[in-house]
Amino acid sequence: MSNQRIRFFFMVMAAFLGLSLQVSAQQFSVHATADTNHIRLGEPVKLQVEVKIPASLKGQYQLSMAVLPDSFEHFEVVERAKLDTLAPTADFSGIFRQTTTLTSFDSGQWNIPPIKYELIKPDQTVDSAFTEPLVIDVNTVAVDTSKAFKPIKSIRGVAWNFMDYIWYFVMGGVAVLLIGFVIWWFFLRKKKAPVVVAPPAPKETPYQVAMRELHTLETDQPWHQDVKAYYTTLTDVLRNYFEQQFKIAALEQTSAELLQNIKPVTILNQQRDKLQAILTVADLAKFAKLQPSPEDHAECLQKAIAIVEWTKPKPVAETAGEKAAPTKSAL
Amino acid sequence: MENTSTDIKQLNEKIHQASAFVDLLNMELGKVIVGQKYMVERLLIGLLAQGHVLLEGVPGLAKTLSIKSLSSAINAKFSRIQFTPDLLPADVVGTMIYNQQKNEFVVRRGPIFANFILADEINRAPAKVQSALLEAMQERQITIGDSTFKLEEPFLVLATQNPIEQEGTYTLPEAQVDRFMLKVVIGYPTKEEERHIIRQNLNPEGQEKINPVVDPQDILNARKLVREVYMDEKIERYILDIVFATRNPEEYKLNKLKPLLAYGGSPRASINLAWAAKAYAFTKRRGYVIPEDVRNICFDVMRHRVGLTYEAEAENVTSENILSEILNAVEVP
Repeated sequence: MSNQRIRFFFMVMAAFLGLSLQVSAQQFSVHATADTNHIRLGEPVKLQVEVKIPASLKGQYQLSMAVLPDSFEHFEVVERAKLDTLAPTADFSGIFRQTTTLTSFDSGQWNIPPIKYELIKPDQTVDSAFTEPLVIDVNTVAVDTSKAFKPIKSIRGVAWNFMDYIWYFVMGGVAVLLIGFVIWWFFLRKKKAPVVVAPPAPKETPYQVAMRELHTLETDQPWHQDVKAYYTTLTDVLRNYFEQQFKIAALEQTSAELLQNIKPVTILNQQRDKLQAILTVADLAKFAKLQPSPEDHAECLQKAIAIVEWTKPKPVAETAGEKAAPTKSAL
Repeated sequence: MENTSTDIKQLNEKIHQASAFVDLLNMELGKVIVGQKYMVERLLIGLLAQGHVLLEGVPGLAKTLSIKSLSSAINAKFSRIQFTPDLLPADVVGTMIYNQQKNEFVVRRGPIFANFILADEINRAPAKVQSALLEAMQERQITIGDSTFKLEEPFLVLATQNPIEQEGTYTLPEAQVDRFMLKVVIGYPTKEEERHIIRQNLNPEGQEKINPVVDPQDILNARKLVREVYMDEKIERYILDIVFATRNPEEYKLNKLKPLLAYGGSPRASINLAWAAKAYAFTKRRGYVIPEDVRNICFDVMRHRVGLTYEAEAENVTSENILSEILNAVEVP
């Protein structure tokens, strides 16, 4: 073989190899790697699957991702990370990477089987790719039986954290503020000078009201203008006085009822005749158009004053003095 | 003013003389009726005020005897109608009967053609019969066929209602009950009164006979005088206050009565209260009305004119309770 032929052969081989490499670089491919091939029971192994989509299918494909079951072939899935999308390159329009954390609780040499991924092209043809099978050695923990057994380790303390006690600090702060406020309010605050309220004017007693009104009638002598109105006022003064002084609902009672209801009030009942005379004349004047003589008017008024005077409540001091007097004389 | 005073004085004297028959009547009735003075007094008020009386009481309380005796004492015609479910209006007012001999229809007057009618157990008859009676009471005339007959005055209907045994009765509607001037509730006599009743009934000489002591004309004259009894405007206002308190209790500081009252007294209540108060004053031989007269007659005039709510009935509140509250709240003039 001449040198020219050998050179030509190598050139053809190189071209073919370059072409095949370019073609493989632009194919749909799936690649799986494990971060370790040796784990102890329960230790994690991270399985990373990388899927590459050729640039020719830019945005015009559907990718069917394989989903590993929770447990398979002596392995158990501990965690599934989210699908990571990498920036496209000149050769690949999509590069996807997914990491799944696996573990195994069975010792031995176990295979992670090939995982199938499918790429559905725009013309609905399906391109399939499989990951490489991976072998993982799962070992038990080596125990040196020649050494003595050690007790179980005590519970490890957790480092002190300020946030764990935040509410105690808040409550303590509020309590301090409250105590401070109380001390200020009761001991340190400047107390206002007490407001001196003028004592209310003494209210007129029913007796005083009645007497004032009766004296007004005596002065004004309204019977000269309207006899009916005079007797209405006169009886109203008396009825109001009885109501206030003796708690008899006199305003709502007729003359007969009033005379009946004063019976239990001895001091008032003693003036019964006078009251009856007034009420009789007043009723006749009010309801029967009777025109009593001027002497009758004055007489009724004097009788009313006499009734109020007779039933005037005695002052407390006077009553006490009266009670004390017989004791003194007895001595 | 002096003249008015003299007028009242004269009226008072006139009434004092004219009402003398009241004592006479009471004495005569007292010969056979023991107790029940209250009922007799109310009958007289109804008679003088041209009203009718609805009487409520258990059987055997001398209702029939009272009105029969009153009728005899006044020398008036008395008639008793026992109301039953099969009673017809014609049984009360009368009907036309064919006279074969004369070949014509003649009027046969019913028992309502009397001065005093005792409508016994009025709520046992159907509404049609009740209506016929109540219409006659109101109009004081009867129409049979083409003829209208004026009822003879004095005309007084005393209707009775039994408060027990309400099954199978036709309760009088409020509008019809309103036509009775007074609704009187009577109770049992006292022990002493009942002892007298026994003695009187077992008397071997028989019961005393009632003699006519008053003429119907005296009653008609008395009615005219009752109209003349003086009622001061203060009394008128008092009557209006009582009736209005049943309508608008809240205006009289009686807010608690508001949920208990379905309806209050009608203007007919005010009219009847004024009439009855005048008649009461007359029976007391007075020529003017005083507040006592109004209060005395108020329960009988108003008790059937105050409508109670279901709430009041549930709480066992009676119209008497309500009227009592009103009388204790309304100021007496």
